[in-house]
Amino acid sequence: MTVMHTASVEVMEPVPVIEPPVAAPAPADVESAEWLRALRADDGSRDAAIARLHALLLRAARFEIARRRASLPHLRGNELDDIATEAADDALMSVLRRLDDFRGASRFTTWAYKFALLEAAVKLRKRAWQGREIPLEPDRWAIQPSRALGPAAASEQTEVMGAVSEAIAAALTPHQRTVLVAVALNGVPIDVLAERLNSNRGALYKTLHDARRKLREHLRERGFALDNYLEEE
Amino acid sequence: MTKDFEIELLLGPGAPEVGCDMCFEQLDRYVELELAGADADAAFPGFRAHLVGCPACREEHDSLFALICSERR
Repeated sequence: MTVMHTASVEVMEPVPVIEPPVAAPAPADVESAEWLRALRADDGSRDAAIARLHALLLRAARFEIARRRASLPHLRGNELDDIATEAADDALMSVLRRLDDFRGASRFTTWAYKFALLEAAVKLRKRAWQGREIPLEPDRWAIQPSRALGPAAASEQTEVMGAVSEAIAAALTPHQRTVLVAVALNGVPIDVLAERLNSNRGALYKTLHDARRKLREHLRERGFALDNYLEEE
Repeated sequence: MTKDFEIELLLGPGAPEVGCDMCFEQLDRYVELELAGADADAAFPGFRAHLVGCPACREEHDSLFALICSERR
């Protein structure tokens, strides 16, 4: 696949740089070092290592598919097998292409697994949304109460939701509104939206991040305390 | 005040966070630190906040965590 993670690393907001508790990059463990040696060998052992790596990645892709199986009732077993194989194939190419990026901060297998899980997850999200309409018009949205609440809480929620709705309409650009509404309100996976908008995951998340920051600023300027809605400040 | 997950998803984590690319770069090490009982959040500032804000990256984190856990059983 066209991996959205090959783009330059993007930090949304400055975060303090601190040293990890275990020095990284660290020398690879024995098993990881053996993987690297075999995959870089210029003899027949490289082919065998690549075959073992593919089997490992296929196992990870199948693991991801099994986790999501319940949400994909329309896909038959052979289709899922094909997705797993494609994910493993694409992950293998990514791993081999980025072999020099592996610094031994984790086990090699853990590092390799994440490529297979990503490939499988992206493919499954796209299959799940294949043929489904994604409302992209910024005016087609509405915030609905998401759970049953008592009278006081419901009143408070209604007030906050009204303010959020007003902020979405007033503070965001049309593109920010489109991305926020699709991802945060309509549950469109960011990979799926990126494909429809001919963009990529990193760029859309940056848009989402900027839109959220504008919303928070807009609401705070109007006297809303948001502490209970935010992870941390 | 009543917590509301929909509003949380709209407003985001509200804390400094890494982007999707950095999250992917750090994912394997972060998960191994978590499984070792180390303070992964101290090692990777902004990582946890990103998982709160990005459903896709959170899913991929949860999958890698579950996969490694399953192998260690």
